[in-house]
Amino acid sequence: MLKKTSSSQPDRQSPPRWADRLLEWFVAPHLLEYVQGDLHETFYKQVDQVGIGRARRSYIWAVLNCLTPFFAKRQRPDPSRIHYNKYPKPLFSDMLLNYLTIALRNLWRHKAFTAINIVGLAVGLATCLLIVLYVLHELSYDRYHADANRIYRMTLYGRMDNKDINLAYTSGPAGQALLKECPGVEAVTRLRREGAFLVKYNDRIIKEENVAFVDSNFFSVFNLPMLKGHRVRALVEPNTLVLTETMARKYFGQTDPIGKTLSMGNLGLFRITGVCEDVPSNTHFHYDVFGSLQSVKTGSKWFASGAYTYVRLREGYPIQQVEAISNGFVRKYMASEVQEFFGMTLPEFLQKGNRFSFVFQPLTSIHLQSNLDDELEANSDIKYVYIFSVIALFILLLACINFMNLSTVGSAGRSKEVGIRKVLGSVRMQLVSQFLAESVLLTFLALVLAMGLVLLLLPGFNELAGKQFTFSAIANVKMLGGAVLACLMVGLLAGSYPAFVLSSFKPITVLNGRMQVSLRSGWFRNALVTVQFVVSIGMIIATIAANQQLQFMQNKKVGFDKEQVLVLHDTQVLGPKLSAFKAELAKLASVVQVSKAGFLPAGSSSQSVDGIQIQDGTRIGTYRTKSYFVDDDYLSTLGIRLAQGRNFSKDSPADNSAVLLNEAAVRTYGFKNPIGKQLSTVGDGTEGSKRTYTIIGVVKDFHFESMHQPIAPLLLFYGGDSGQLALRIRTDDIPSLLTNIEQRWKADTDNPFAYSFLNDRFNTMYRSDQRIGQLVSIFAGLAVLIACLGLFGLAAFTTHQRTKEIGVRKVLGASVASIVTLLLTNYLKLILVALLIASPIAGYVMSEWLRDFAYKIEMEWWFFALAGGLAVAVAVLTVSYQAIKAALGNPVKSLRTE
Amino acid sequence: MKKTVLGELEELVLLVVAASAEDVYGVPVMEQLQQQTGRSFTISAVHTTLYRLEEKGYLSSSVGGATAERGGRSKRLFSLTTEGGKVLLEIQRMRTRLWEAIPQAKLQLLGL
Repeated sequence: MLKKTSSSQPDRQSPPRWADRLLEWFVAPHLLEYVQGDLHETFYKQVDQVGIGRARRSYIWAVLNCLTPFFAKRQRPDPSRIHYNKYPKPLFSDMLLNYLTIALRNLWRHKAFTAINIVGLAVGLATCLLIVLYVLHELSYDRYHADANRIYRMTLYGRMDNKDINLAYTSGPAGQALLKECPGVEAVTRLRREGAFLVKYNDRIIKEENVAFVDSNFFSVFNLPMLKGHRVRALVEPNTLVLTETMARKYFGQTDPIGKTLSMGNLGLFRITGVCEDVPSNTHFHYDVFGSLQSVKTGSKWFASGAYTYVRLREGYPIQQVEAISNGFVRKYMASEVQEFFGMTLPEFLQKGNRFSFVFQPLTSIHLQSNLDDELEANSDIKYVYIFSVIALFILLLACINFMNLSTVGSAGRSKEVGIRKVLGSVRMQLVSQFLAESVLLTFLALVLAMGLVLLLLPGFNELAGKQFTFSAIANVKMLGGAVLACLMVGLLAGSYPAFVLSSFKPITVLNGRMQVSLRSGWFRNALVTVQFVVSIGMIIATIAANQQLQFMQNKKVGFDKEQVLVLHDTQVLGPKLSAFKAELAKLASVVQVSKAGFLPAGSSSQSVDGIQIQDGTRIGTYRTKSYFVDDDYLSTLGIRLAQGRNFSKDSPADNSAVLLNEAAVRTYGFKNPIGKQLSTVGDGTEGSKRTYTIIGVVKDFHFESMHQPIAPLLLFYGGDSGQLALRIRTDDIPSLLTNIEQRWKADTDNPFAYSFLNDRFNTMYRSDQRIGQLVSIFAGLAVLIACLGLFGLAAFTTHQRTKEIGVRKVLGASVASIVTLLLTNYLKLILVALLIASPIAGYVMSEWLRDFAYKIEMEWWFFALAGGLAVAVAVLTVSYQAIKAALGNPVKSLRTE
Repeated sequence: MKKTVLGELEELVLLVVAASAEDVYGVPVMEQLQQQTGRSFTISAVHTTLYRLEEKGYLSSSVGGATAERGGRSKRLFSLTTEGGKVLLEIQRMRTRLWEAIPQAKLQLLGL
């Protein structure tokens, strides 16, 4: 600072400007001239004696010494000192201080109003803060990568037999081909997942779910800094591993993991060559263990291999060009494979309406906008970001309206004060700023309370929203600054109505006592209340619809019996001992039946998809169909019923080439009488992998995927998948059964014992739907609460205004009931109007939401009726307290107030 | 008037003002103080003390001559009032009484 000043003014030897400014700002005007003069005089003397540098330093020191209360204290208009200043000039801050005092006194006098006002606003603000936190986090996904805007994910789109195929991954060789042929592609990196691994270290075996195999340049494309090991060379060799920090600590504690080895399931020993930082929570994948892609087979066939492929473009290279080049691949590389897999030439293939192309998604859009098959993780949906933003806005709007209504009401009794102030010379702007200052003060009190609420609610909110926010996520400069700014806006906006109305009073009318306030301009307040109820009723309708849909999904017959089914995980580790173990379990008293159930309709399950060819006369139809591999106990263990034909049987060796279909498959394939018909699988294209099966039975449709999707065709082949065992149990004492099974497990293997229940797994599938349901109900509750607070205050105000009218009515013989009705009708009318406005809007929005579900409820009339009824009930309860109080009052008292 | 106690700095400043031939302002007072005591004082301390003494009625002030090196700012000039003179004399008398009360032998005994 010093140097800067001296270099900008080299010839003039003056004291530092900023120090002078500070002095001028701080020191009271009546002292300033003399002190500053003395300081300057000393300064120039010192320049001669000790040089400019030291003089400046000591000047600053002297100025800092002046920063005492003595110098800051402004002169009071004291008659004995009148020679300094002829007329008193009260400072601006004096007036502000007065406003503050008056405001605090007023707030204190109307404690109940103040409390309602602040609580309402605080609840609104707290909700808003939490939602903003959630929305910002959702929007921040994958934006932290250095070149996030240049990274795209290459995905595969196909159309076969009039069905769309949208895959999140693409053919294995596609990425490398793109890198070779497209000059705009700077880097390509691929990721494969091979499911969970049982990781063995020393004698411990731990199951790791989040294992990925990636190209060696993975860490240069994505911003995952390496803490140890080489960023580029770590994953060049096969059987090398990079662990995240947490994972490294889990296995190796404080010791250096580099060079150590881990045994990864059936892939053998892996050497650790690097440690990277944990993958940030706002990433569309969360892996803890990265193996080199060289360690796993990637396959070279375009139609029978897959890898998640990310490409980084050169700066400014258009993605459309990359798309154009990539779509040439179909003709160039895939034509020969079409022949191989589908037995037809490419033109024939295309002529049938089949297509393949590559689609590129911007990295930053994956989390919110991508919903393809086989995503790395279940992604979120931009819809929810919109929904929550709108809810946040609505709740804030409600709180503001409330605040406005209540402030108007609260200040209505202050017309006399306004009159007096005006008589004593207040200008209108001063009054306006007084009322604005009050409302800003209130909002800031509310903000403080809101912060407290957020602190209190954060753990619950985290659980509900599935996030891990800490308080520091809120208490940072950006959030706080935003909140303070928002509060200021809310305070000014909400305060503006009472401020301008009150300040426009004519002192003569006000002080004459003929003050039947112009606040009667009821249409504005009525409109505000209607808006509040539109929002509340809309949200109640949404809540009812969402909860009905959730109930519907919970209770719908899924086609299998999900109760009392225990699932044991990773049973493939038992190897040859599995059959004996299964037989042993089947003998237990509380176990009804055991089945090898690697494929299950809920929770983690093996996946298998095959191309199925059906010969129908001369025409061959090819269908891409999901399939299960089950044993003969599977259907009875899960309670799936047969519609036709028979189950697999141990006694019939021919069943190895038998197959069961579900009803959806029968419909899709167009069989009239399926039993005995044949179908064949395409396999991976080679002749040896093609097999023909005979249909021996049809199972009833069951929901093997979530209810968002319609039941798809499914084939069940014979040959159980030993990944999991399903046990149909019949017992009340599950813990002892579990310990019993665990003991038997431990006797056979060192691997960890893990289990789950089918109904839990089923419920987990709908967790995100349930979350939305819960969140919407909570927000609806809050909206209603805030609206009620506002209504309560407003009712209090209007009844107070009509005290005299009520008195006269009572004197003339009105009953209590008739007066209560009189006071209520006004509000009931508003609610009716609100219901009429809210119903179509909520109805439309909710039917849009429901469209996502293949199995859904209809919006029924009683949703709307119930919501309206609830709103009316709540409003009546709120208003009637005031109404009854007013109606029961003694008319003598109210009429004497003149 | 109630008996007012003077602090050390106040007494020194009052003495400096009393000792000067004409009315003085902050800078000469500070310089005198530094010369006489060998300690350093800041302008702010000197000003605070001067104003306090004025408030107590021992000094009176007037506005006086501006110079170029002060950037044209005027000076606040202070002069001793009768009250101020009285209080100085009072202090001196009190000190003398105390001096006279010291037994001769005591100082000699200490080798002074």
